[in-house]
Amino acid sequence: MACVKDIDFDQTDDIIPSPVVALDFIFFNINSENFSDISPTNLIVTDTTSFDFLNEDFLVDNLIKADFYFKNTNSLPSQLITQYQFLDENNVLHYEITIPVNSGAISNPVITEYTEIIDEASIGNLVLSNKLVVNIIATSSLINLDGILNLESKTTYYLRLEE
Amino acid sequence: MFWVISLLSQNKEVLYGLEETPQGMILNPGSRISYDYHFGVPFISQIHFNGGSSGVTVYDIFQESSVDINTRISNKIFELKNTDFFTATQQLELLNFGWKNKKNYYFSGGIYQEFDFVLYFPKDLAILAWEGNANYIGKEFDLGEISASGDFLTVYHFGINKKLNKKITIGARVKLYSSILNFRSTSNSGTLLTRLSESGNNIYEHILSNLNMNVNTSGITSLSELDTSEQVIDKLVDNALFGGNLGLGVDLGATYEIDEKWTASASILDLGAIFHKKDIESYQVTGEYTLDGIELLFPPLQVGTPSTPYYDDLIDDIEDNFIVDTIYNSYTQMRPVKMYASIKYNFGKEIGGDEVCNCLKMGENQEYNQSVGFQYFSVFRPKGPQIAATLFYYYRLSDYFSLKTTYSADSYSYSNIGLGLVTTIKMVNFYIVADNLKWYSNLAKAKSVSLQFGLSIIIDKNE
Repeated sequence: MACVKDIDFDQTDDIIPSPVVALDFIFFNINSENFSDISPTNLIVTDTTSFDFLNEDFLVDNLIKADFYFKNTNSLPSQLITQYQFLDENNVLHYEITIPVNSGAISNPVITEYTEIIDEASIGNLVLSNKLVVNIIATSSLINLDGILNLESKTTYYLRLEE
Repeated sequence: MFWVISLLSQNKEVLYGLEETPQGMILNPGSRISYDYHFGVPFISQIHFNGGSSGVTVYDIFQESSVDINTRISNKIFELKNTDFFTATQQLELLNFGWKNKKNYYFSGGIYQEFDFVLYFPKDLAILAWEGNANYIGKEFDLGEISASGDFLTVYHFGINKKLNKKITIGARVKLYSSILNFRSTSNSGTLLTRLSESGNNIYEHILSNLNMNVNTSGITSLSELDTSEQVIDKLVDNALFGGNLGLGVDLGATYEIDEKWTASASILDLGAIFHKKDIESYQVTGEYTLDGIELLFPPLQVGTPSTPYYDDLIDDIEDNFIVDTIYNSYTQMRPVKMYASIKYNFGKEIGGDEVCNCLKMGENQEYNQSVGFQYFSVFRPKGPQIAATLFYYYRLSDYFSLKTTYSADSYSYSNIGLGLVTTIKMVNFYIVADNLKWYSNLAKAKSVSLQFGLSIIIDKNE
């Protein structure tokens, strides 16, 4: 008689696809005019974008870890602080990354790399947010300084697709 | 026109050439017919199931093992090829009859219902879904590997068979196809690539190139508008009874008795097409896009001014670059053409008699109770023909009982052993055929399983 042996279909519950997705995050180029266009003594520029997919059910249910990698290339002769604030629609802050960026020169742009690893302990905070505020803070006036702060960034999302 | 599309019926290597059963004639309309009438017992004259996967077994994945099931799945994804496939086929004969007229033409007709499904393994998409893209920077994932089709139809057929002379028997059959449901997604293209940025904007570029995805459906849209299961069944029955999309095809076949020891035969089946004109809906997505993240511009906004909708603009931009169409054009679906060819050597005990005397046949029409031979089978499928080669041994133990055993090499395995039994007691003709016998002690290890059986009444006026 036909039969089926040595098979355990209960293992179906153990099947967990665990894709790791690499995705570009944000990029920008900032110079001293971005600061001085607001006022000659301004020390902070800000921009905001929504990131609606961060708190969609798929990520809320399946994201177990995320690495944010930032590559700052600075030719401004000034130290800067970049700040990434993850907020919800009520502007409640759930996660924040602060990166000091080294000063450089037009002839010698300086690269500051930074990786923020958001592990299982704090990933729950990230997926409460759907908005990103980026602050770039100068420690002293940039007026009439030549140079650019360039940012490239990516995120690696670690998913665990349980039922 | 597309050369379709599904693998439909699988190889019936055991049943081919079994002339004792009327089902042998379905596979070769030019087979030799030794009876004067036949009637299939409605609904049980032919029942056929086949399920298969060319590259993976249930056991491969679900075996009891200390190795984690996810590791086994990973290994299998990389082992399988994009030409590997999963299939399911089912046939149910509703009616089958035939009779010989005074001029020795044998007429036959019938109705059967058929379901066929094939899905090719979209390897790149499976890797992407299982592992993601992070470890595959620079690899182009081929989205064109997506290829699947399904068919649910009724076939009405009528054929004629004639023994032209002592050596040659020929036959032809006309088929009218009444499609109940059809879908196919077989001409897709596109690649997805994540690479280190060449534009220098950001770390990566995610490039979706030349995307062109298509799905054709017929007989499905109207079902979704129905409310009750009774209405759905009524609609399916209506489609089965010529209410849906129709097609036309032919089967041709011949048997050539080279001499009393050697016999050759061949047939070509389902040479035809279905013309989908009613209740059709097709979907197409085309476009291309390169994503490199969101660029922030830091405009000098005053307090209270809304921020730039970068994210919504990005989503809109992506949507604008892809055209999603719903198309109502008719389409033609070629039936999967199947071919059989066989040569066999007859030997053993001399058997047979004719209307003149109940003695042994003489000369070229002498029959023997055993034969060995070789069979070829092919079926056209979306990614090329599937071919099978079979060696067989036939043994007619008595007037009541015959058996045929086969050894086949095909896409599923190189060692498929099949067995068929035919009994004819009085007028009652029964056959049962199964293949992949070596796995019957544990079906989970079989890549394909096929079973057919049926019951007919056959009448030979000489008996």
